[in-house]
Amino acid sequence: MKNKLILFWVIIALTIGAITAIAVKPTKLGLDLVGGSRLVLEANPTNAQVTPDMMSSLQFAIENRVNKLGVSETVVQRSGDKRLVVEIPDVSDLEQAKKFIGETAELDFRRPVIKNGVENWEPTGLTGKDLSKANLSTNSQNGQWVVDLEFNGAGTKKFADLTKQMVGQQMAIFFNGELQSAPVIREPITGGRAQISGGDSGFAYAEAKEMVDLLNAGALPVPAKIVEENTVGPTLGADSIAKSKIAGAIGLGFVMLFMALYYRAPGLIADMALLIYGVLLFALFKLIPVTLTLAGIAGFILSIGMAVDANILIFERTKEELKAGRTLFTAINSGFDRAFTSIFDSNMTTIITCIILYCLGTSIVKGFALTLAIGVMVSMFSAITITKNFMHLIFGTGNLKHPEWFGIKKSEIGEGFQAVETSREKAKFGILD
Amino acid sequence: MKIKLDIVKYRFLCLGISAIFLLPGIISMIYSSVVYPTHTPLKVGIDYTGGTTLQYGVKEDVTNDKLSAVRQDLVKNGIENPYLQIINVNSKQSTDLKAILSVRTKFIDEGSKDVDKITGIVNQVFQAPSLVQVSSVGPTLGSELFKNSMIALSLALVGIIAYLTFRFQFDYALAAILGLVHDTIFVMGVFSLLGLFYDVQIDALFVTALLTVIGFSVHDTIVVFDRVRENLKYYSKKMSFGEIMNASINQTLARSINTSLTTLITLLALYFFGGVTTKDFVLAMILGIAVGTYSSIFFCSTLVEIWEDKKKNAKSAAAA
Repeated sequence: MKNKLILFWVIIALTIGAITAIAVKPTKLGLDLVGGSRLVLEANPTNAQVTPDMMSSLQFAIENRVNKLGVSETVVQRSGDKRLVVEIPDVSDLEQAKKFIGETAELDFRRPVIKNGVENWEPTGLTGKDLSKANLSTNSQNGQWVVDLEFNGAGTKKFADLTKQMVGQQMAIFFNGELQSAPVIREPITGGRAQISGGDSGFAYAEAKEMVDLLNAGALPVPAKIVEENTVGPTLGADSIAKSKIAGAIGLGFVMLFMALYYRAPGLIADMALLIYGVLLFALFKLIPVTLTLAGIAGFILSIGMAVDANILIFERTKEELKAGRTLFTAINSGFDRAFTSIFDSNMTTIITCIILYCLGTSIVKGFALTLAIGVMVSMFSAITITKNFMHLIFGTGNLKHPEWFGIKKSEIGEGFQAVETSREKAKFGILD
Repeated sequence: MKIKLDIVKYRFLCLGISAIFLLPGIISMIYSSVVYPTHTPLKVGIDYTGGTTLQYGVKEDVTNDKLSAVRQDLVKNGIENPYLQIINVNSKQSTDLKAILSVRTKFIDEGSKDVDKITGIVNQVFQAPSLVQVSSVGPTLGSELFKNSMIALSLALVGIIAYLTFRFQFDYALAAILGLVHDTIFVMGVFSLLGLFYDVQIDALFVTALLTVIGFSVHDTIVVFDRVRENLKYYSKKMSFGEIMNASINQTLARSINTSLTTLITLLALYFFGGVTTKDFVLAMILGIAVGTYSSIFFCSTLVEIWEDKKKNAKSAAAA
């Protein structure tokens, strides 16, 4: 009994902690629910006409970059012939996001030429397209931030050929038309690796990090600039969302009423567990943080359904045990134990599905999988640990004095399905017959 | 009151009812794939196809009531599934407009009757709105994105089969998967029919609804199978597999019904009292959860029972 009291206070402490977190932390809601920022990007190629193909690759590049921003649930959409609409949920630093999205990110390697006595840089044909990956690291000698480059197959060959020709010469690295560094080639480099050091002053961390992210996301196939910038309301319509909030509350109210009416005392306990579940889950969403969209809320609703289901499973089993004439303590324990395998297996399947969907899926699918997985894990705790703890504390041990509390008639006890336990299970459940 | 189901006796009736549930939808999906210009089994909305956005500058605040009024009038006048969004005007921009109302709908040509119709409706709700921009927009859920999601889903199914084979047996896993296919086809079929007869289009949320249905379907089936597994442990010597299956289904019946009922209560509340934009999404989930409960009781269990029966017959034939 002492352990149970300790657990009870742990649950209460967790709940209070969760409520505090909910009060303090902001909720991250997706574009569909609260809106966000809307940037309109216009392609303006220097010499060519804008073709649909060009726009497709621009859209792909922008999508890539937006994903690198780490903001989930963004929308990149074509608008007209040469515009892209980028919608991002509220981000902490919109200015940085804008810079990140609008930057062309062209990397190219140039060689020195002397024309009419003036030294100049001439493109070598080796560009950011020949990279397979960029990494952030530090120079082992002076500890400055540097950008490590890895070339792909073709790039490695081009780079090896170039460095072979250019031994003793300087090779300049330009990013967005700006000279970054121009090291002297001492020997041919065949390993397919290079480094940008940022010159004498070196890179600031943020500068190097941004360059790495941009290089990995790929250059924009066409220069594009942000022509419009606004904040927008929810895509699902503010009017609809206001109504759905009320509807959700009504629905949950009915569920709790149903549980209390059908399962009586245990139903009320389950309702309490459900409220705690909601609080814990919501706090987790805020702490992680998860950007909630309607898809995420669908996952949330499904996880509530599964949490209620776990309680229903347990109570149905407890009822069966009580009808078989077991004492309260035994009935509650074996009700939980017998329901456990089905709760475990069904939830494990859900979690496996969610992990696969999260790793491979795209935005909507990801949001759904994430909230559902977190929800299911928390529901195992609430439906099993919390409900069981409350039931033991409230009903204690002894015989069933008030069968109506469990929605059972006195006459039903002793009939019904009789489970046959193995001696091991009898010992586990404390059955003495 | 005691309900006693005997699915073993009526197993072919169960499969027959499933066929009756599914066939109209399947026919509709095949018909739609041929007839629709998009060649899709369901009528797809602007999330998949792209459409036209009309932007109206307004000089007053856009309240929820006004948004609802515009939406209602648009639907009443045959502009299906409009997406309404408020674009706030940046304080840096020099204009007397308070906000921009963006109306996104199917492809319409600039200067066509539909544009006049929409402008007329916006005009009734707002004072002197000005049409600032008409532009075509691409799909938010491109085919690439859709394809990726489908690949992820297929792999998730493989994961489910692997886990259930490990915890139960392969035929249980297969039955659970067929059950979720059953439920998915039913929901898709109903929406295909709704598309044909009531012009209901599916949006990006439909994919989420299907995921929810799949999640519920497997969950529900496993609970029934778990009971079969447990009963087999205790009674496999005393009872036939069919009897055990029947007993298991009847023992879990109250739970199956109550679980669906609680989930359906929430969804029905969302359907009747919730926002218009999520109605179809909620409807898909309601249909899926109802059919998911049906399939775990009558469809998946029947399949396992028939397979086990076949195995036993094959065994006894081999013994003889």
